[in-house]
Amino acid sequence: MAAVDLAQNTLDGLMIGSSYALLAIGFTLIFGVMRRLNLAYGPTIMAGVYLGTAAFISFGAPILVILAIVVIGAAVVGLYVERLCFRPFGEAARTASMVASFALWMQIEEAAMHLLPRHMNPFPPLLSAPPLQIGPLLLRADHLVMLAATLLIAGAVTYFLARTRFGLAIRAVIDQPRAAAIVGIHVQRVMMLTFVLASAVGGLAGFLIAATDAQVTAMIGMWATTKGLVAMMLGGLGSVKGAIAGGLLLGVLEAHAQWFLGPQVRDMVAWGLLFVLLAFWPGGLMGSKALDRTMAVGRRV
Amino acid sequence: MDGYLITILSNIGMVSFVALSAYILLLSGQISFGQQAYFGIGAYVAGIATVMWQWPLAGALLFGSLAAGAAAGLVGLATLRLSGIYFAMATLAFAEIMRIAAELFVYRRDIGGIESGPDGVDGFRDIRYFFANEFSPLETCLIVYALLATVLAILCIIERTRAGRMLRQIGEDPLLAEVHGINVMSVRMIAALAAGAVAGLGGGLYAHLMTYVEPKSFDIMLGVHALAYGLIGGLGTAFGPILGVLIDIGLLESTRIFHGYRMIVFGGLVAVLLIVRPRGLLDEVAVSRIRRALRRRRDAGD
Amino acid sequence: MLDVQDIVTSYGKIEALKGVTLNAAEGRITCLLGPNGAGKTTLMYSVAGVLKPRRGTIKLAGDDITGQSPAAIVARGLALVPENRLVFPQMSVAENLDAGAYQRRDSAEVAVDIERMYTRFPRLKERRAQLAGTLSGGEQQMLAVARALMSRPRILLMDEPSLGLAPLIVEEIFRIVGELNKDGVTIFLVEQNVHMALKVAHHFYLMEQGRVTFSGEPGKLAEDEVIQRAYLGTSREKR
Repeated sequence: MAAVDLAQNTLDGLMIGSSYALLAIGFTLIFGVMRRLNLAYGPTIMAGVYLGTAAFISFGAPILVILAIVVIGAAVVGLYVERLCFRPFGEAARTASMVASFALWMQIEEAAMHLLPRHMNPFPPLLSAPPLQIGPLLLRADHLVMLAATLLIAGAVTYFLARTRFGLAIRAVIDQPRAAAIVGIHVQRVMMLTFVLASAVGGLAGFLIAATDAQVTAMIGMWATTKGLVAMMLGGLGSVKGAIAGGLLLGVLEAHAQWFLGPQVRDMVAWGLLFVLLAFWPGGLMGSKALDRTMAVGRRV
Repeated sequence: MDGYLITILSNIGMVSFVALSAYILLLSGQISFGQQAYFGIGAYVAGIATVMWQWPLAGALLFGSLAAGAAAGLVGLATLRLSGIYFAMATLAFAEIMRIAAELFVYRRDIGGIESGPDGVDGFRDIRYFFANEFSPLETCLIVYALLATVLAILCIIERTRAGRMLRQIGEDPLLAEVHGINVMSVRMIAALAAGAVAGLGGGLYAHLMTYVEPKSFDIMLGVHALAYGLIGGLGTAFGPILGVLIDIGLLESTRIFHGYRMIVFGGLVAVLLIVRPRGLLDEVAVSRIRRALRRRRDAGD
Repeated sequence: MLDVQDIVTSYGKIEALKGVTLNAAEGRITCLLGPNGAGKTTLMYSVAGVLKPRRGTIKLAGDDITGQSPAAIVARGLALVPENRLVFPQMSVAENLDAGAYQRRDSAEVAVDIERMYTRFPRLKERRAQLAGTLSGGEQQMLAVARALMSRPRILLMDEPSLGLAPLIVEEIFRIVGELNKDGVTIFLVEQNVHMALKVAHHFYLMEQGRVTFSGEPGKLAEDEVIQRAYLGTSREKR
């Protein structure tokens, strides 16, 4: 029995973890090019999801339209955050950027409350197929879609970074911003577009999460910021691969902790792991090789 | 004075302690997302001391503050060599662990015929020291401000000493400070201890003024707000964070002019303010200008 | 080719360039010598658009480029080999060259140019898949030069290419500078290695404390005096 529980928990954890991984990818991209923390990332996603939910409640919009609204909404709000919190500051004023993004967090959350005042709102489910039975294990169909979508998006982002001209520019800016400017890359434009791209990826993550739960709560902004941050840090800060590993690890860990220790201890385990990792192994999971660089980058926040 | 005003004033006073706590670390160049943990520790420890052990208030507040300082020291041992986002996330992780620990913490005893003490998620209620000893709201408010003034005075004096200058030097460039022979780690440790103790003192006051404290009272929102107050008010002087608290709670929350839209106004305001002044209203330049003006006036008066 | 008129660039209140005027003639090697802190690197970054001058004009082939973005200046045919090389350490040698050609859309021609770079710098070909951060100092310098050439510049700015390199490699770098110039690239070079610089330069300037203090052809001033002033500045001589 215990073996089945372990397997089932791991499976559930991977599914939830895939949503964390998506959040962490967006966070990692923004942190990579900006070298500053965007605390308004979760609320940006929340804004997109809330706009989509409002369209669902008011007009009963079909799910693909809602998807478009969520993604575009998050991208537009992401642009707003970039303009107000990141563009005006040089890298020297990192704290100011972060605090400004916190101020916008508060602002976006309150605006969202005006849009949908109830704590919990319905969201159209992704699909209502019955769970799959694989031997003794159960697998929710929508979870499977989420995992597949995550892998697809992660693959697309990796391909985009590795193979396209704009991806090259992003990597150049992450690697050595001054040299990027010298070879003729519009660093500010790259930063802005990366920000928008990451916000759109976040919107996609938010959509998948809300559709899997078939509901949205007012906590989604805070939730997305903290889960995304923890997953990014666990992954070692600075690579898409690390972000995915960090997200999946966090999901699996939480699933086991919830099963064996209950929901309160679950959160404690995640934070505890992060604390121990940071205090004793600050490079993170994927960090051993890139440690020096990520430390140098991380120090600058 | 009416009760509402006193409540607001007390609130400003109590939050100021956490803002000062975050400010001390900001000066040393460290961004902490976790000063609320020491606020919580101070609140619980001081509350337990007066309620469960029947200690006098002064002893309880001191003990709460020391306990918070000691916790900050232990956390500092593990985290102070980190910097940037690593330090910020480690402190946040610790604060969240403490908050969840408080949700699990149950310590109930029969005190004078009533069962009292911390009760998990429901928090710690009936911390009735002020009520039982018949303090008026005005008196409690005065206690808060007397302690705040003491902390402020100490901070202002320290900032003018060599130690204070060392702290700022480390904040500006830790490597350069190291080269100049400053022991960065020990100065940061002292700053962390002091920051923990200040937050703990604020927590102890909070528990007694509110008569209760719950895990939600010290979640991430308190910590990030505390950080923001320093940057809004300015990092040039210890009055900066207080100014930040005054603007947010004193002006926006209490006057209720933007009721329901406070955060929309406040958030936009802060973002725009930071563009104009990335180190806050009372930044170093503003402070030195004010000091010069004051000196000139004093010289002219002589 | 490059005309700098009365440029003032400052960091905060400190003026690093206090009105610099010089020019680099087409098809020639112009060299800028001077002690540390004279403002040479500041001048390079000002010309390349990374720093914005407060006053003065910079003209490239007759067009005013003052205050334009680095990207716009690269597009006009200027490339910089920056101080300390600044390769992209986490990217491969080949990707560094790709980044150098970022503004070009003629991918077939870019591929040809990359092969040309490999012919000119065989070491880079050997290490094409290696991360640039793992290269030796000399190899990184070659890469920085090759990366700059990938934009097919009309004028190449080089900021202390010999810094921290072994004498044999310095010789190699200067041999390449001469070759590039023979191929028609105008070169504007900042150097500390006076001896090597005077060997290749057609014209040189001396810069001290944010000002140009001498302009002439090699041989106009005894090498000893140039060395004296380039390393120590005139201020000490006067004492």
